[in-house]
Amino acid sequence: MKKRISIIVFIISAFLLPGCYPGGPDYIEEMDVVLTKHNDTYDFVSKGTYAMPAKIVKITGNAVEGDEPVFVPDITGQKILARIDENMRMYGWTKVDVSANPDLLLAPASWETTTVFYYYDYWYWWYGGYYPYWGYYPPVNYSSYTTGTLLMTLIDPDILESNGNPVRQWTGAINGILTGSYNASRVNAAIDKAFIISPYLKTN
Amino acid sequence: MKKILIICIISVLSVSAFSQSTLFSFQYSMGFGAGNMKDYIKPASFRGFTIDYRKLVTENIGLGFDMGWNTFYDEMPDATYDYKNITYAGKQWRYSNEFPILGAIDYYMTSMGDIFPYAGLGIGTMYSLQNTDMGTYTFEKDAWHFALRPEIGIIMDMGGGSGFNLCTKYYHGFAAGDLPAQGYFTINVGFVFVN
Repeated sequence: MKKRISIIVFIISAFLLPGCYPGGPDYIEEMDVVLTKHNDTYDFVSKGTYAMPAKIVKITGNAVEGDEPVFVPDITGQKILARIDENMRMYGWTKVDVSANPDLLLAPASWETTTVFYYYDYWYWWYGGYYPYWGYYPPVNYSSYTTGTLLMTLIDPDILESNGNPVRQWTGAINGILTGSYNASRVNAAIDKAFIISPYLKTN
Repeated sequence: MKKILIICIISVLSVSAFSQSTLFSFQYSMGFGAGNMKDYIKPASFRGFTIDYRKLVTENIGLGFDMGWNTFYDEMPDATYDYKNITYAGKQWRYSNEFPILGAIDYYMTSMGDIFPYAGLGIGTMYSLQNTDMGTYTFEKDAWHFALRPEIGIIMDMGGGSGFNLCTKYYHGFAAGDLPAQGYFTINVGFVFVN
């Protein structure tokens, strides 16, 4: 009897405890992540000017095979560029034309990634054999989510790798799950955060 | 260190083979982080359990093992995670799961009516798994710690070979793997079944 009670206690607890396992995000904004990476030997403080293109390129297609570049529509792209410039100015940087020999070049880009995941209907494994008229294979369902990334890269045009490519001195990446519409406060907050966690970019 | 651990556990289990009475205890466990663990996750954990097994080798000494699980959880609305010269910023969901597996020795004092106070020591290993979730990413660290666990508690005899168990334990896992030393207190309540 005692043994039976202890087994029952154990089984009940085994079912209850995982049910108490803490959860994760409730809102899509909570999934936004900002990542920065910098070259800690590079002297940002002694620099002061930068150039930035007037459009944000979308990383898509195959440039090597001659696909034309695609850009983020101006209606959102210009707002993003303005916010980046605002943060750079607050840190003491002056935007100049690329022909004015800037200290650094800021290259903005964006891309989207869709993750698709498949899963089987688990009940098939228990009951499939009893009902031969169900299909031979278990039904497969799928779901997906799309994340968008905005990339900001600072490069020094005078410092090149051995293969001739410029070296990234600072990278700021903003990653989040995409929704159907542009959310300015969400994007602005993420851009601001990238600069807040990069105080070494400050020149003033 | 691993050899010593294995020898200790085997010794405890082999000696217990000569015993007479056995105690099996299943406890609900509440955890309170200390030191590095508290720095990582401040809130107490109310998700956990412990299974204890002892054989009495004398009237007052019980040898056996205990194992359990405590999961700690915290949300940081705006936090950063640094790795070398990379910084990740955003909302963090922090999880720390602790799985102690210990050989144990308890000393049962003379009963005070229906209450049996006892004190014990455990030695063994503790597996720690820490996850810091941000966005669609998770940063995972784990370690098999060499662990010590002092314990004090009481068993209240309820008659019929069963009892109520209340105890407090402190688990200390020494630095290992990806993690520094990890420690936490638990308050456990449960039932004991005596054969």
